[in-house]
Amino acid sequence: MKFLTTVGLTLLLLTLESVAVKYLGLSVTRIDVTVAVVAFLSLRASTVEGAMSSFVVGYLLDLMSGRPTGLYTFLAVLTFLIGRLAASLVDVRSAAVFVIFTMAADLGHGLLAIFFSWLTSRDAAFGSNLSALPLQVALTGLAALLLYPLFRKFDSGAERSEVGLLR
Amino acid sequence: MLRLLKRNRDLIVVSVLLVYPLTTFLARRSAAREPNILDRAVLALTAPVQRVFIWAFDGAGSLWKGYADLRGVRGENLELRAQNRQLRSETNELAEVRAENERLRRLLDYAKASPDPQLPARILGVNPAATLLSLRIDRGESDGIRRGMPVVTPDGVVGIVQRVTGSFADVVLITDANSKIAVKVQRSRVRATATGKGESRALQLENALRTEDLQEGDQVVTSGTDGVFPPGLLVGRITSLQRRNYGMVQSADILPAVDMTKLEEVLVIQTRGAPPSANNPQARRGADTAP
Repeated sequence: MKFLTTVGLTLLLLTLESVAVKYLGLSVTRIDVTVAVVAFLSLRASTVEGAMSSFVVGYLLDLMSGRPTGLYTFLAVLTFLIGRLAASLVDVRSAAVFVIFTMAADLGHGLLAIFFSWLTSRDAAFGSNLSALPLQVALTGLAALLLYPLFRKFDSGAERSEVGLLR
Repeated sequence: MLRLLKRNRDLIVVSVLLVYPLTTFLARRSAAREPNILDRAVLALTAPVQRVFIWAFDGAGSLWKGYADLRGVRGENLELRAQNRQLRSETNELAEVRAENERLRRLLDYAKASPDPQLPARILGVNPAATLLSLRIDRGESDGIRRGMPVVTPDGVVGIVQRVTGSFADVVLITDANSKIAVKVQRSRVRATATGKGESRALQLENALRTEDLQEGDQVVTSGTDGVFPPGLLVGRITSLQRRNYGMVQSADILPAVDMTKLEEVLVIQTRGAPPSANNPQARRGADTAP
């Protein structure tokens, strides 16, 4: 996906997520749409382009969260890099595999977010965040299933890059 | 050095992208920073887009909610209409019951006040033959009904029982062309005969001497001389007089006190004996000899 397309799509998805949270009352968990974007980037984008896009996606999430700490920016880039590594091992071509890939990415992303939050602030709600994670991963997987055709449409025409970390 | 940087450009860029936010985060120990110029610019750019989306979603949500409410209102409207129909039907039924109750109360009061035993009866039907104005009531021989028994309402005279079966009886109306009953004018006590004209709302006063005192509006009651009807029952009111310059008698039109077309319940007076033949000859004989 092109850089600007990624930024626009992320903005749209974050807005949708905020509206979904508002209307569906998802106060205990969230749908991590940015992870789905990063997961797709790790499959299709080149390393530098993907890392930069992931940085911006993470930055936007940080900004939208209302408490910009830099954590989500860092985690987005890290998730992208780990995703690149994983993509060199598995070939993701179908929607179902993409869903599993995204769920795994979200699980890692979520665990790291909880860990870093706990690391810097010991009074963070470690237990409740952890218990909300399975539902968050499931909802993100569902979102990934719905978003996969859209991502592919935006990505159509683009050459698939060679998979592999920092290649 | 430059070559080294150039060769590892990707690695350096990615490392910076990874390390910079991490160090920022760790340095601040999860404390949120104040938005800088870039943050403000991005927010300024994204906020209107976000607002448009939220406005669109809010609008769609409101539209859907309005539609859902409208559907609810439609359903509720249909339900209320059905309820309204039901209630109106019940109100009509209650009005009917009240009217019937009123009529029966009047019948009962009348029956209590009357010296003769009276049996209430309900009208089952009207004889469809135009040659005989009669009604069918739901009382018959099993209830003690006999031919020739007078039938009345609190408003006045209705007719005479002409035919009786086990549980039904036919009543010839006083307005039937074959009916004649002995009457008298309540004001002047003039005796005469009230004859049916074959119409449900018309009687003829006959056999009143030309010299007798009759006036329009006079009340006509039974005289009791025919041996069928007890005396004093209201028959009707004189509506017009026909007094010629010749002859011995005068006649008049009588409007019956009872509207035969709207009868629903009647009283059968049980003490009067049965006449000897059909078409009420006893009444006719009595009426004929009345003056």
